[in-house]
Amino acid sequence: MTLDLVPLLAPLAPALAGLAGLARPGRRPHPIPQLAEAAAAASFLLAIATAVLLVARGPATIGIGEGVPLLALSRDVLAVAMLLLVSFVGWIVIRYARVQLDGESREGAFAGWLSLTLAAVLLLVQAGSLAVLLAAWVAVGLGLGRLLLFYPERPQAQRAARQARLAARIADLTLLLAVLLLALGYGTGSIGAITAAARAGDAPVEALLAAPLLAVAALVRTAQLPFHGWVLRVMEAPTPVSAFLHAGIVNIGGFLLLRFADVVALAPGAPAALVLVGGLTALLASLVLLTQPAVKTALAWSTVAQMGFMMLECGFGLWPLALLHLLAHSLYKAHAFLSAGSAVEAVAAQRRPGPVAVPEARTVVMAGTLALLVYGGLVLLTGAHTKSPQALAMGGVLVLGVAYLLAQGMAGAAPSALARRTTLASVLAVLGYLGFQGLATMLGAGVLPPTPPPTTLDGALLVLVVLSFAGVALAQALLPRWAHHPAATGLRVHLANGLYLDALLDRLVGDLRAPRAA
Amino acid sequence: MSVPEIVPPRLGAVLRAAEAAIRALPPAWPLEATVAVDPFLGRSGESLARAAARLARVAGVRTTLERGWYLERIERGEILPGDLEAARAACPEPAAPASLEALLAAARMPSPPPAALPSVAELAARASGFDWPELVRERLGAWAAAFFDRGQALWSLPPGAEPWASWRAWASRDLVPEIQGLAGFCAFVAELPDRPERALLQVADALGVPDAGLETWFESLLFGIAGWAQLARLPGWEAERRGEEDGTALALLAARAAFEQAIFEVAGQGIATEWAEIAARHAEPVEPTSAQIVDSILQEAAERAFQRRLAAALPARASSPVERPALQAVFCIDVRSEPFRRALDSLDPGIETAGFAGFFGLPVAHRGCASDVEERRLPVLLDPALTSRSPAPDEADRRTAARARRAWRRFEKAAVSCFAFVEAAGLLYASKLAAGALGRPCPTAVEPAPVFDPPLPLAQKIATARAVLRAMSMGDRFARLVLLIGHAAKVTNNPHASALACGACGGHGGAESARLLAALLRDPEVRAGLAAEGLPIPEDTLFLAGLHDTTSDRVELFLDDVGPAHAEDVARARRWLERAGALARAERALRLPRAASGDALLARGGDWAEVRPEWGLAGCAAFLAAPRARTRGLALSGRAFLHEYDWRKDEGFSTLELVLTAPVVVASWISLQYYGSVVAPGPFGAGNKLLHNVVGGIGVLEGNGGDLRVGLPWQSVHDGERLVHEPLRLTVLVEAPVAAVRDVLARHEELRRRFDSRWLHLLLLDETGAIARRYVGGLRFAPEEATEAGLAAAA
Repeated sequence: MTLDLVPLLAPLAPALAGLAGLARPGRRPHPIPQLAEAAAAASFLLAIATAVLLVARGPATIGIGEGVPLLALSRDVLAVAMLLLVSFVGWIVIRYARVQLDGESREGAFAGWLSLTLAAVLLLVQAGSLAVLLAAWVAVGLGLGRLLLFYPERPQAQRAARQARLAARIADLTLLLAVLLLALGYGTGSIGAITAAARAGDAPVEALLAAPLLAVAALVRTAQLPFHGWVLRVMEAPTPVSAFLHAGIVNIGGFLLLRFADVVALAPGAPAALVLVGGLTALLASLVLLTQPAVKTALAWSTVAQMGFMMLECGFGLWPLALLHLLAHSLYKAHAFLSAGSAVEAVAAQRRPGPVAVPEARTVVMAGTLALLVYGGLVLLTGAHTKSPQALAMGGVLVLGVAYLLAQGMAGAAPSALARRTTLASVLAVLGYLGFQGLATMLGAGVLPPTPPPTTLDGALLVLVVLSFAGVALAQALLPRWAHHPAATGLRVHLANGLYLDALLDRLVGDLRAPRAA
Repeated sequence: MSVPEIVPPRLGAVLRAAEAAIRALPPAWPLEATVAVDPFLGRSGESLARAAARLARVAGVRTTLERGWYLERIERGEILPGDLEAARAACPEPAAPASLEALLAAARMPSPPPAALPSVAELAARASGFDWPELVRERLGAWAAAFFDRGQALWSLPPGAEPWASWRAWASRDLVPEIQGLAGFCAFVAELPDRPERALLQVADALGVPDAGLETWFESLLFGIAGWAQLARLPGWEAERRGEEDGTALALLAARAAFEQAIFEVAGQGIATEWAEIAARHAEPVEPTSAQIVDSILQEAAERAFQRRLAAALPARASSPVERPALQAVFCIDVRSEPFRRALDSLDPGIETAGFAGFFGLPVAHRGCASDVEERRLPVLLDPALTSRSPAPDEADRRTAARARRAWRRFEKAAVSCFAFVEAAGLLYASKLAAGALGRPCPTAVEPAPVFDPPLPLAQKIATARAVLRAMSMGDRFARLVLLIGHAAKVTNNPHASALACGACGGHGGAESARLLAALLRDPEVRAGLAAEGLPIPEDTLFLAGLHDTTSDRVELFLDDVGPAHAEDVARARRWLERAGALARAERALRLPRAASGDALLARGGDWAEVRPEWGLAGCAAFLAAPRARTRGLALSGRAFLHEYDWRKDEGFSTLELVLTAPVVVASWISLQYYGSVVAPGPFGAGNKLLHNVVGGIGVLEGNGGDLRVGLPWQSVHDGERLVHEPLRLTVLVEAPVAAVRDVLARHEELRRRFDSRWLHLLLLDETGAIARRYVGGLRFAPEEATEAGLAAAA
């Protein structure tokens, strides 16, 4: 029993460090930054210990109380994967902040709020009951609000925080409603009991109402259109906040869906909404991304797009893939933000080896066909019958992405040595994708529900998604051939402005009111 | 009915005013290879007080620190009454305080914070509560970021477009201003004249700005987007040096002005009266207030206090030179060489160090291995005369590898394929995160030795070698080993890395220049040619290039194709350099936060989170052109540029002319860049590094966007608790005869103007190396009284 309490310490350590930070909020509050880093590192070690526990003793839920107000933590593959991810990224980010924020006038407060927010996320990801989930969810939003206003005197920071607050409150409210409905419907606060009942087919009307609410909370939290504006503006907070936000907070919506996958699958409309909103966001945001000249802004758009893709996967019931996407994106994006200062050198390095060989239309089609053929072959070899149509289709979409890599090497102007290297890289990318996908499926078995057989609606959505992604992939590969055409001028302006969704929301909430000081 | 096209009479006035406003802006270099720029470059003919008056009107910034900073130093006795009195007496303004007492009384009055004349956007914001200036900054920034982007976005704007046409194409389609309430803006832009100067005329007429008010009005508009304006100034500045013209800054100015008219039309009559007053005030002449005059005197007094302390230290106790030095090492004049040279000198009386501009006199345009990009590795005020590259047997492979990496990066960033990238490779970033967090340096391929390409003919090689040796005041004594040491800062994840590189190498590292010169001086044919011309170099002298990493104070030597004959000399030199590095690190660690010991600095450059890897040139205040004997052993705290110069060996004073017109100007730009970044961090500083958002590979935004931030980041001049750079204008000290210096100044009017307006001070040393004369303007020198006497007079 006592060993089972180890995971509880993971949030506790940064929480205590966080309180110490708030007690000494000022400049150079030795040893607060060191303490915060040590606490985060301890969380990571505790997360590893939890993983060992999971292997040794199997999944478990520990808690106090019973019924709806139950307070419980759960230990399963999902919780442990998230714990490992968040504590690892948290440690890296807090270590980074210890160096970078040295000498700031509110250095201690920063370490404090960052640690407290980390603690809230670490609690959230192992929530075993509705009460814990809701409380931690709200706490994450509050902590983030404090971090976004680290420079409260900056009008732009105030605007960013205002939009973030709006999104957070909407997500909080919808989750509150969803949680109340679930508690009413199943008469328990235990998340494990609720999902087990849902998987067994127990679908009270309250659950059918809760499912779309969960989807809305997740969509708002993961910055899907049109609630993406706040994520684009968090550059008003120091780099470690962006890194932690993009790696550990914005994806919490994905975690919510994974946690309640069985419930979400109950209501027929919810997955379709996830597919539509997520898919549209993924496509549009990845196009907007192409036009962004500022590195952190581009990374933010990339997050919006990647979260959209994750929602799309959730909508198709590809839960293990969604989990893989969540973990992989977090690690990638944390690194991208923390190393964003290298962008000057990165841009310079790109110009050094001379002009880019632009693939011809023929080459792109050839590369796409080739990639699909190879993918088909690999899938047949590895057992196509075990895969759902949804998984096959999404794999196809990703392989079309890899085709772009292939096409760059096959361009007429590219030397054969380059073609060899990009082909090798393409093969490695496909193998990496299939490998990680297999791993995620293996780990998720039992915890995450299996992909349901596609309905007619799913079929139509699949066709829509594959065609639209293929179309954008083709246009993207040929981009240099049409990007500067006069006819594209307007499109580029509108895309660069994110199709004005953000400006419209600004106008709606009166965001450009002059700073009150003056 | 057809109207013949006529040139409106005001167009000439508008163009002249716009040109003057643009010329007053300093250019800003992209961060890829940035160089320090004097932010007051366009005001070299004005005094500090007059520049203060103008910048207060157009930008709302001070050009000196707050009064408290000076008063504190007066109270602590760092600035003495003698300094104040001397500065007061030297002040050219008729309204200067008449006595020391009057000055002190005035100094204790507060200096009111400057307020810029508001723009239409600002007036409208006050009237309506809607943040128009922010909208304008953000919209112009959005266009400018895309226009100047060098490859961050995969989908760029059409390359090679005229800036004015590009902005109109953008703004006539951009719906954001209309959504935010600027109704009809797209149509308004579409109907603007197709020349920017005509658009400016249209706006000037619509807003009723009188001719006399145009110039400062234009300036204030440019300062509303100061960073982008300074970047846009660069192509014009470069074009002027070629005798050409460029309209980038003019287009930006016209775009900014167009917003003024559009907002004026929306804001309506509510602000018309107010605006008419502002327009009239722009037409008033710019005169410094008495507070600004007092500010400028206090500033000069602080500089004189520094000079007084320097005078007390100079010259160093002469040491008898050894017959043949064991090691000679030539470093860049950069102030960061000073602590290292002092440490190296202290190790052995047989070690001699010298200072010379870090491009070693070779004006090369260099291409790295497997690179098509030409890097100008020379001061930006010079033009490249030589070309070089770094060939390697495996150059084609390196290029293919670089292209494959680029293809992978495009795969990472492109639409649709970015999703495949994350699922295929995202998890692998766990190891990259760990590597970054633990500061594991990533191995970089050693750049192969550079060669001149095309190769230089022998005669030119000999002439170049001879000229460089002469400029270094070298020629009669050579050690067995002579090191030519360039410098670079090995830092990671730092957008401002090039600001820590070598200014004399155009914001690049100095390794290539040093290696080129060392190879040239090793060339037996060149040595034979030099000997034939009466400049024999001993047979056993080896020239070797090195690179001083200013962050870790480690020196790397490039053996290139050197044989084993000097193995022992090289090994000994390595030991000395190692020890000197440890001494220099220990000294620097005292000033750097989070550096418990000198050894802590070894890993500092590899820390991806570090915002203060080193202090760069912070603290720089003096430039000395004199033999090393004058300063050997003096602790100058890394505040002085040291240039080896012996006028007795300078036939016709051509080296003196070179020193005063090139390195001195580069050093003064550096000192004034630090000065500007400290006193006016708004338009001339890069803001908070924690919020930096690299844009277009060329610069940084602070936070979400809007204006580009140029100059130095706040963390580069401030340690969190206090300024680490005392803003002082550069003091140049030259050991040379008065007549020779006067002669050079007479021939270089722009240089003279800078000294006359005291953007830098000039002091001459006498034969003993003591400060003897001060340049007082108008080609006149005054004897510098022994400082004690001056003090007594004031007391």
